[in-house]
Amino acid sequence: MPRVRGGTFRPAFVWLLAKEWRELMASRAWWVMLAAMGPLVGVSFISAMRTYAEVSGLGGTAAGVGEALSPLVGIWAPTFSACEIAAAFLLPFVAIRLVDRQSGALKLEVQHRMSPLARITAKAIVLLAGWLVAMAAPLVAILLWKLYGGVAYPPELATIAAGHLLNAGLTVALAAAAAALTDHPSTAAIATLSVTVGTWIVNFIAAVQGGVWERAAGYTPTAMVAEFQHGLVRADVVLIALALVGGGLSVAAIWIRLGVRASRRAFESVAVGLVTAIVIVACSFARASADMSENRMNSFSERDETALRQIHAPLKIEAHLAAEDPRRVDLEHRALSKLRRVMPNLSVDYVSSTSIGLFEQTSAHYGEIWYDLGGKRTMSRVTTAEGVLEAIYELAGVRAPEGDDDVFRGHPLAVPPTGAPLIFYVSWPALVLAAAFLVRR
Amino acid sequence: MTTRENSALRADGFTKTYRRVRALDGVSFGVRPGEVLGLIGPNGAGKTTLFECLAGVLPLDAGTLRHGDRLVSLTDRASLIFYMPDGIAPWSAQRLRWALDFTIGFFGGEAEGRDAVVRELDLAPLLDAPIGTLSKGQRKRALLGIGLLTPHPFLLVDEPFDGLDLRQTREVAGVLRAHASAGRTLFLSIHQIADAERVCDRFVLLSGGRVRGEGTLQELKGQASDRGPERAAPPGPANLEEVFLALT
Repeated sequence: MPRVRGGTFRPAFVWLLAKEWRELMASRAWWVMLAAMGPLVGVSFISAMRTYAEVSGLGGTAAGVGEALSPLVGIWAPTFSACEIAAAFLLPFVAIRLVDRQSGALKLEVQHRMSPLARITAKAIVLLAGWLVAMAAPLVAILLWKLYGGVAYPPELATIAAGHLLNAGLTVALAAAAAALTDHPSTAAIATLSVTVGTWIVNFIAAVQGGVWERAAGYTPTAMVAEFQHGLVRADVVLIALALVGGGLSVAAIWIRLGVRASRRAFESVAVGLVTAIVIVACSFARASADMSENRMNSFSERDETALRQIHAPLKIEAHLAAEDPRRVDLEHRALSKLRRVMPNLSVDYVSSTSIGLFEQTSAHYGEIWYDLGGKRTMSRVTTAEGVLEAIYELAGVRAPEGDDDVFRGHPLAVPPTGAPLIFYVSWPALVLAAAFLVRR
Repeated sequence: MTTRENSALRADGFTKTYRRVRALDGVSFGVRPGEVLGLIGPNGAGKTTLFECLAGVLPLDAGTLRHGDRLVSLTDRASLIFYMPDGIAPWSAQRLRWALDFTIGFFGGEAEGRDAVVRELDLAPLLDAPIGTLSKGQRKRALLGIGLLTPHPFLLVDEPFDGLDLRQTREVAGVLRAHASAGRTLFLSIHQIADAERVCDRFVLLSGGRVRGEGTLQELKGQASDRGPERAAPPGPANLEEVFLALT
């Protein structure tokens, strides 16, 4: 419904967006987060720059070592990891503040007939806009990197930034739901941090137990961000994250309807949970993915991928390796994660009777990797990408492609991060404090 | 003519229980268009609970609300009733000027009425102050201003005189009466009986979560007399305080 103010018409939703933005600007928690982002990003960027420079030859490192360096892994993954820390420990306090049940504002605002979901969406939009402002800190790091003479590959930078935006969306949805469900912000903060710690526990159990836990851990925020930090965009991960964001915001919308009975709200929340779970399961079957890294770190060579796409028979791999065995980690990251992207008919089973595998070494079959392609079987113990491909080509009767693709030579940069400490540790906080003073005056 | 026939808004059988405490126990009453209705009751009578249930910001266990012959759903209340709670400090970091503009813009109030409300409630000196920095009385006037700028035909105000001094109470009572005369229906929860007598046309007496009487002062005095001589108010000019004591 249009509203009159100074001769102009503005929908109620726009008024709400403007209100939420003003509340964000007035929020001390947001300014503290913004001020902290500089030093957080700075310490990661400066540390990464120093290591990168040393590996690139600064200070007499052996020539040629730096040639394999990728800025994505060497600089941007650690630099942007500061955003992950802020999203886990700072953003929840900003997000919780915006579902304000203490001041009485919510009691006034819910008396507008706007749908609760629209109300929560306005809050989420403003929070994500606030998060984008906070992400100016890594943007400063990118500008400094360019000034130092570094090479930046925009697709991988966009991917990593999108991953952190999605992660922030998850935090906002979770915090909004917690704030709507609880009466006091401190309870909401504890609930939000408990969920975050819970996902870490899932990751820990996955590392020890493997199996279903390992699959579940693949969709935790930590794992999701890690994939984006490697330049990989997976449809299932993105869709599941969006489903979780939608589910969290829907639960928040349900619980800000103060006039509806708690039992009905609980029932509706369970229904939203079930629908979200179904959507998540459906999304987990999505196989599309894109490797946005400049060095194709998530993909086999183009020749190998062409050869693998010609193999249509279902491939089963049975690896007798325990969850904590480093060879299993190698096999997964160097070969199988890449193989899943080109062979949709791949199924992988890990077999082990212990989690660390230390006492299984004497078992005759431990360490074996069995390949079954359309009924033809072979066994190998090699966990490298080359070994896996060799076994598959042998079973498929396909000739291994010859020659090399253009090899990524890396972008070494033997330059120290001069001036960065001053910018991130002094100028950034000072500018944020000055801006806070001016805006909140 | 009965109260029910005259009612623009009719609450029937409002019941609300907090765990084992029954805050409202089958509360029924009517609100006539353009009147100032006072909800009178001691602390803990259930006044705030009743207002929150009426406004739809607290779920009812049982009861219905009708506007004329039509049942009012939770969604419908958003265009019919606006409730201003007591003791809140909404948007505390924002200036009052912005809060008034937001109220008009967000809820669809009349922008033309803004200056009049500011003048009536003497809000001009407070316009540039953040709401959180206002004193109790100043905040009460600010909240009344926000409430009066909303477009809803029924305005519920919890304790409109709480925090105001005698002069301000008289002035605000005049402002509220003026808005009622202009067509706005006001339902005010008041625990100071003298204040209620000054501003209200009719009263709903609430005690222990039950309606003990409803009507004008004269009607209530009659109800008190009907309950027997031992409960009747003393003879002479009707006094709400005595009527209240007689009926509760």
